Amino acid sequence: MFELIGISPVLLFGQVLIGLINGVFYAMMSLGVAIIFGMLRIGNFVHGAQYMLGAFGAWYLLHLPDLFPGLGLPSLGYWWALVLVPLGVGLIGALMERLFIRKVYDLEHAYGLLLTVGLAMVIEGIFNVFYGAAGQQYGVPDSLRGGVNLGFMFMPLYRIWVIVAGLVVCAATWYVIERTKLGAYLRAATENPDLVRAFGINVPRMLMLTYAFGVGLAGLAGVMAAPIYQVSPQMGQSIIITIFAVVVIGGMGSIFGAIVTGLMLGVVEGLTKAFYPQGATTVIFIIMAIVLVFRPAGLFGKETSAHQPSDIAAARPESILENGRLWLAVFAVGGSLLPFLVYPVFAMKMLCLALFASAYNLVFGYVGLLAFGHAAFYGSSAYVAAHTASAFGFPTELAILSGVAVATALGGLFGWLAIRRQGLYFAMITLALAQIVYFYAVQASWTNGEDGIQSVPRGHLFGIVDLDQPLNMYFFVLAIFLAGFAAIYRIVRSPFGQVLKSIRENEPRTTSLGYSTDRFKLLAFTLSAGLAGLAGGTKAIVFQIASLTDLYFMTSADALLMTLIGGVGTLLGPVVGAVVVVTMQKELATLGSWVIVVQGAAFVLFVLFLRKGIVGTLEDALARRAERRRRPADAPTAAPVAGDEVAAGKPR
Amino acid sequence: MKADAQDNIIEARALTKRFHGFAAVNDVDLSVRRHSVHALIGPNGAGKTTMFNLITKFLSPTAGTIVFNGEDITPEDPAEVARRGIVRSFQISAIYPRMTVADNVRIALQRPLGTAFHFWKSVRTLDVLDARIDALLEAVGLLGHRDQPAGGLPYGRKRALEFATTLALEPELMLLDEPTSGLGHEDVDRIAELIGTVSANRTILMVEHNLSVVARLADTITVLARGQVLAEGPYAEISQNPEVVDAYIGGSDD
Repeated sequence: MFELIGISPVLLFGQVLIGLINGVFYAMMSLGVAIIFGMLRIGNFVHGAQYMLGAFGAWYLLHLPDLFPGLGLPSLGYWWALVLVPLGVGLIGALMERLFIRKVYDLEHAYGLLLTVGLAMVIEGIFNVFYGAAGQQYGVPDSLRGGVNLGFMFMPLYRIWVIVAGLVVCAATWYVIERTKLGAYLRAATENPDLVRAFGINVPRMLMLTYAFGVGLAGLAGVMAAPIYQVSPQMGQSIIITIFAVVVIGGMGSIFGAIVTGLMLGVVEGLTKAFYPQGATTVIFIIMAIVLVFRPAGLFGKETSAHQPSDIAAARPESILENGRLWLAVFAVGGSLLPFLVYPVFAMKMLCLALFASAYNLVFGYVGLLAFGHAAFYGSSAYVAAHTASAFGFPTELAILSGVAVATALGGLFGWLAIRRQGLYFAMITLALAQIVYFYAVQASWTNGEDGIQSVPRGHLFGIVDLDQPLNMYFFVLAIFLAGFAAIYRIVRSPFGQVLKSIRENEPRTTSLGYSTDRFKLLAFTLSAGLAGLAGGTKAIVFQIASLTDLYFMTSADALLMTLIGGVGTLLGPVVGAVVVVTMQKELATLGSWVIVVQGAAFVLFVLFLRKGIVGTLEDALARRAERRRRPADAPTAAPVAGDEVAAGKPR
Repeated sequence: MKADAQDNIIEARALTKRFHGFAAVNDVDLSVRRHSVHALIGPNGAGKTTMFNLITKFLSPTAGTIVFNGEDITPEDPAEVARRGIVRSFQISAIYPRMTVADNVRIALQRPLGTAFHFWKSVRTLDVLDARIDALLEAVGLLGHRDQPAGGLPYGRKRALEFATTLALEPELMLLDEPTSGLGHEDVDRIAELIGTVSANRTILMVEHNLSVVARLADTITVLARGQVLAEGPYAEISQNPEVVDAYIGGSDD
């Protein structure tokens, strides 16, 4: 479409047009996410995968004869897809709501996000197994080929169609929700489901239909996107993070805001591509950061009352499994034996990830903040440690410390921005901020793009101990892990840790006692970032590489998964989770791409059936057993229930 | 009949709070005399809890100023206000359910130590507070439950614990939001007695529905209705005021 390329107005208009088209997709997608978030309180991370399903649906319909030869099925083109696919994707959405999402409505918001992250991993993982990274082509429908010459540029017909159709769909949705009786019921159902139920309305079905509708919108966007972008399993993965940022910028509670913000940001992105191409991938996330500073509630959002951070910690403080001194000793002894039982490299991977997950748990488990961007700290430290070690020749310990310093600084900055919002917003914001670091590493020269920094020298510890010797390296890593573990235990059991605990349990109360709770959260977040950086920097030295994988959002998801599997807010949970996940990845390595599907399924299963994780469940079982043992002994003397007498003025 | 600033610990001037156009608190002037027990009463939706939230800055007023000890505290945040010595309780008992009873009180006591951010110190450094914790728990009759998780206490005990935690900060001005709501007779008596005891050398502003408690404790009563001050004065005077009686019985009519 750039016949006149080289002349900047054309380039400019071209980019604005591309931006407008992206904006239409952002608007349709963020509309769906905003509706689902607003009505169901679910941060629908699987929205990207549902958009991808829409595109694949259109492709399947076109290729029906090839897919099912012998059945004599016709090839259904674009217009059929436009009608059938959103219905089909909506139906899949309804099914997902019925089977999974419904189960977490009454739980903390965190679980809804975790569940949909798992579902997205499963769906995208399966498509990845069958189609890999390669994209499928989907042609522009015949009736929309060609274009209009506007004089200054050539405007393809299909793009005009996408813009018009997308805007009509958005406007119609806005109208239904804000101006019709059905929309009024929907809005009422989210405010007070019991009352609406009393009116004789089937609320569960209404919520299911709402979810199906939001998902159907994603499917529709997928069909419309198929002729423009490549149809690939990854197409939804990057857009969902952008969509989350759009929702944060637009603000909660505003359908209109989601639409306008989506369009606007698409255009801004297009303009950035014209004037400063390097910034195009990050501009939306940077705008999000700026908006958070000046209008924390978003451009169109209303001031929302602060709600409490989620308290999903599973620990029983009195349990033997929470005794840090004991377990520090156990880990020291067990860790010393480990390299003689398994490959040292494998053991070191476990230790690095165990420290990473423990650092993450400090924020998620002990403060109740659902952070979703810890890859930024882990990865940035890995890159800095790798770079300072290989390019500047820093000694190993100094290289790792440099990584920790950068991760800590980044943690302070991101924390300062993100702490303005809570709950799901906190997750979306940390996710989006981490994406800035990821895209920076994709583009910067010192990070070597896709290759990463390779052949990082392990060097000599304090200039003496040769870390190229596997066992030397191992015991250095073990020492770092033990130090990190001890630090976390101390933080949790400190005067500061007490205040953190109180914030998690009842933040308004802690505020009313005179604590500026945001400062405590920020310090905890920064400490957690620094410790995650310690894990990442160490990992870069051990594996002698820092790569984009370290910064990718799946690394953040890994930290979450390990913590969830082990037990959120338990001392040992992240360590156990890391051992499980690393072992699983190793054992399942032969399955290739299926690993991600298995991990996603683990997410879903743990959210649905084992929310307390392995360690949390164990602590419950131990407590119950202790209770049972105590009870028979008390039974004979079980006359009055102790402590229920009027206690006023009761002497000691 | 405004007393001068020296006698009033807190003064709200022309305080207004609107939610989407609805004025929950509308142009309210409220002065609380030092070392008095001042009760806010009124029918549901009169704006009592909103007043509490405004004074403690859990909500920002749409208009008006709040002056504490002669200083304008309107722009401050809730934690700053609390550090000045204005400490509130909540309508639904605000405790930390999974922490022990002693830990609940300790959170309040540890703030003046100035080590709240010391993440490198052991929690043992807070043991110096134990004697005061025990004294406070004894005062509210909870010493026997010291090491129990607070979430397992019966409701009345939870309120007593919240009271002890609030008291631990030795607030100059204590705001109690319906301290006896949901309590049985014995518990009401005990809490009322406690309020009477601690009111000796501090100021208490309370929202309370139980009029016998109000009659027993309050020096001054302000009646709110539909976001505005309907009447103010001692109990004997208020209870005879036909408008007040009407507001309570006539409810939301006009």
